[in-house]
Amino acid sequence: MKAAPPRWADRLLELFLEPHLLEDVQGDLYEVFSRRVGEVEPGRARREYALAALNYLSPFFLRRKPKYELQASQPLLSLTMLRNYLKIAFRTLAHNKAYSIINVVGLSIGLGAAMLILLYTKDEVSYDRFHRNTDQIYRIVLRTYTAAGVPEGQGGNTGAVQGPKFKAGVPDIRSFVRYREHRNDLKLGNEIVSQSVFYADTSFFNLFSFPLIHGNPVTALQKPQSVVLSEEMAAKAFGTTDALGKILFLKDSYNSESPFKPYTVTAVARKAPQNSSIKFDIVMPYYDKEGNNDETDWFSTFQNTFVLLRPGSDLRAVEARMNRVYQADAREQMKMVAEKYGLTQKRVYALQPLTDMHLNPDLPADNGLVDNSNPMFSYILSGIALFILLIACINFVNLTIARSLKRAKEIGVRKVVGGGRSQLILQFLGESYLLSFGAFALALVLVQLVLPTFNQVSNKALALSYLFDFRLVTAYLSLFFLTGLLAGFYPALVLSGFNPVETLYSRFRFSGKNYLQKSLVVLQFSLASFLIIATLTVTSQFNYLTSKDLGYDDRNLITVVKSNLTRPEAKLLREQLVNNPAIAGMAAKNQGRWGTVAKINGETQIEFTYETVDEAYLPMLKIPILKGRNFSPDFPSDSSQSVIVNESFVKKAGWKNPIGQQVNFWYNNNEKYRIIGVVKDYHFLPLNEEIRPQLFTMRPGNSFGMAYIKIKPGTETASLNHIEAVYKKLFPINPYAYKFKDEDNRQSYEAVEKWRQIMLFGAVLTIFISAIGLFGLATLSAERRFKEIGIRKVLGASVSSIVRLLSSDFLKLVGGSFVLAFPVAWYALNRWLENFPYRIDQSAWTFLGAAGIALLIALFTVSFQAVRAAVSNPVKSLKAE
Amino acid sequence: MRRAFLGEFEEIVLLVVAACPSEAYGVTIWEDVQQQTGRSITMSAVHATLYRLEEKGFLSSVMGGATAERGGRRKRFFTLTNAGVRALQDIQEVRARLWQAIPPGKFQLT
Repeated sequence: MKAAPPRWADRLLELFLEPHLLEDVQGDLYEVFSRRVGEVEPGRARREYALAALNYLSPFFLRRKPKYELQASQPLLSLTMLRNYLKIAFRTLAHNKAYSIINVVGLSIGLGAAMLILLYTKDEVSYDRFHRNTDQIYRIVLRTYTAAGVPEGQGGNTGAVQGPKFKAGVPDIRSFVRYREHRNDLKLGNEIVSQSVFYADTSFFNLFSFPLIHGNPVTALQKPQSVVLSEEMAAKAFGTTDALGKILFLKDSYNSESPFKPYTVTAVARKAPQNSSIKFDIVMPYYDKEGNNDETDWFSTFQNTFVLLRPGSDLRAVEARMNRVYQADAREQMKMVAEKYGLTQKRVYALQPLTDMHLNPDLPADNGLVDNSNPMFSYILSGIALFILLIACINFVNLTIARSLKRAKEIGVRKVVGGGRSQLILQFLGESYLLSFGAFALALVLVQLVLPTFNQVSNKALALSYLFDFRLVTAYLSLFFLTGLLAGFYPALVLSGFNPVETLYSRFRFSGKNYLQKSLVVLQFSLASFLIIATLTVTSQFNYLTSKDLGYDDRNLITVVKSNLTRPEAKLLREQLVNNPAIAGMAAKNQGRWGTVAKINGETQIEFTYETVDEAYLPMLKIPILKGRNFSPDFPSDSSQSVIVNESFVKKAGWKNPIGQQVNFWYNNNEKYRIIGVVKDYHFLPLNEEIRPQLFTMRPGNSFGMAYIKIKPGTETASLNHIEAVYKKLFPINPYAYKFKDEDNRQSYEAVEKWRQIMLFGAVLTIFISAIGLFGLATLSAERRFKEIGIRKVLGASVSSIVRLLSSDFLKLVGGSFVLAFPVAWYALNRWLENFPYRIDQSAWTFLGAAGIALLIALFTVSFQAVRAAVSNPVKSLKAE
Repeated sequence: MRRAFLGEFEEIVLLVVAACPSEAYGVTIWEDVQQQTGRSITMSAVHATLYRLEEKGFLSSVMGGATAERGGRRKRFFTLTNAGVRALQDIQEVRARLWQAIPPGKFQLT
């Protein structure tokens, strides 16, 4: 075996020798060693080698620096340095108050917005998750297909038969609950109020986890004429939540024959959580509702049915089994329906998870279920929050870098006395975290302050205490860390890279043309002007919707609901109302939206809105009759033989000459009507729906449900008093409530109004934060060019030319942002407007207006500083050194 | 600084590098120095001197010529720089002048 020099000696050399000397020294030693091995015994050669190696351990050859940098003696974070960092950080913050305030306020607004939106989205996705069995609860939904198998539609509602039949036929379904909304009149002392109530199966409080304050969840809905109240309702009715065994008088609102019946309170439930699709004040046993006993009809749908599955059931298998049950049980009915109504569609039952309802626009939580929401709101809000946070971070980055010129000396000195780059990065990141922390604390305060308003706008009951949730806290903390990093990392990297020699000799120039700062400003203002355009467009669409001529006169029009308003009652009501000179007239109409089909041109079926009115309706609402005539008492046969239709109906039917055409209600004993008049299309539906075929009848079998009362302008108080007095005298047991039709119409645009508020809120915040950022940049730029301005003034520059000089740079950037913002805004808003059949056109004025607003705000912000710099005395700036 | 100060040992090492017929590196220089002076010298002393001379600008070095017996490590070949040549010449001149200046008769072994 070949002899080798002692390893320890080698190690010693490698550890202590200057790296650039090591190679040839060690090579030389090896060479001598290998020669000596041939001459003397190996042991001696090794000893000689070791001795020679040890000779190198003299100061001359030793490393000047330890192998692993300074770390061993000087940790990256020492307490002394930390104290110094803090002191310097506070000093710079205190010395630059404007800068600090802009950063902290901007960031805290951004963070606050992000927090609010996080709260909102968390609430949105947490809907219906509080039930013990949430994962096993499903809603039975129905999909329909044409005979050819093309999907036709889907709906979340079912009838009375599905629950019991599926439970019986599918072993994996453990229980079911049918849940039906209705209205009952309720006696509260001497008053009668109309109250929304729910009929539900006995298993309601088992399947869902609504805790009861008093009463037994298993038996609460077992006996007929028992009732479960919410704690609020109990307090309202009895003044206490301890209402067990007390009696409440209730009566079906829609059935005038049904009397008030006593109901015994069997349980009082805690208020349903705010993130629940099921919210109730009164729950009654399912079979207490008349007409709920027919459990054979597969084809009418009017309520929600929920089922509880066995844990671990295969959803597909359960659905398949449900459909087998349906096919077997409904065979006869399908045949009958196909014959009678010509129904050829195929119906398939499916299950929808309970938690899916809230944010599903195709199968929404409806028909007694509340709060259904469009996930779009969450997306847009999150997007806006992200915008705002991003803009605040951009401010931070821009201002820190722009201001760093002033700190260049500090950085230079730190580097000269041995500060490493990593230490500087740490210092600046630390400072950014310090600011973020301040902003974070301020943001929490802001959120707390804004929350009530936000709740009102978003229709929620959020509270900051929602925060005490592990996932949300984690989200907030990561938001904090991300913001600190986003805002602080780039400046830290740039600042720590300064060359100390340049900075200390004051030869330092801010490198390059500063493209980053410019592009960040462009990005900021693109976002801001996008939101301005959106706000303007949404606002004008909103104004358009609320001020568009509806085709009828909805001013001074009051509607009063009276279910089952009979012909004599209507006549009496009219006579008594018009006694008062303030009342101009009254017309009776059915309540709600009725739709039906009839046959025209022989066998063609046509779908239309079916309105039951009296003679006064059309003239009173000033709906123009284009052809033919209105219903008239001169023609007694009108009520049984004549109908009036609108233009859309005529168009759909394809008639040249509509008067005299026949409409055949074949399913109603082949009742046939002749068309006697055509009215001009008017918007009987909200403007987000297109005008559809409409048919007016006076058929005596259809009951009226409400009265339209026209009052004279300016007589609101007198008229309302009179109407209420007459109503209470004539219908003492019916609840009285009135609405102004124009206000009611406006309420249909609540969603648009919501969009408008969201956009406005986003636009104001982004513009504000962008503006204060621009203000900071302008301040720093004016400071930097202090001397230049002085020299210019001495040489005869006017104030206005200097203002122009200082502002034009920034205004150019703002102008550049439009190039980015306009196409995106145009595209996005076009998509939004497509949702409305009646909409405004996007006009160039909106864009010009937005550009004007953005430029004006920018000009105002920048020129404030520019003017200050321009009017300052040049002596001051030139004297100072 | 016109003239560099050279120690005795430094002068010898510099001269050995200059006199070396082939390329000079650590081991050859070390051996030559011992041979020429007849003294036993540690290799570290030679290396230290070589590096110091290089720092002073009298020598320059290139790396090269790795062999197996060196464990694959390269040698550092030293050559005289112009400054080195001039320094040796200066010393030579000074000495020559001094030799000339010795008065006859003073320089005798007694």
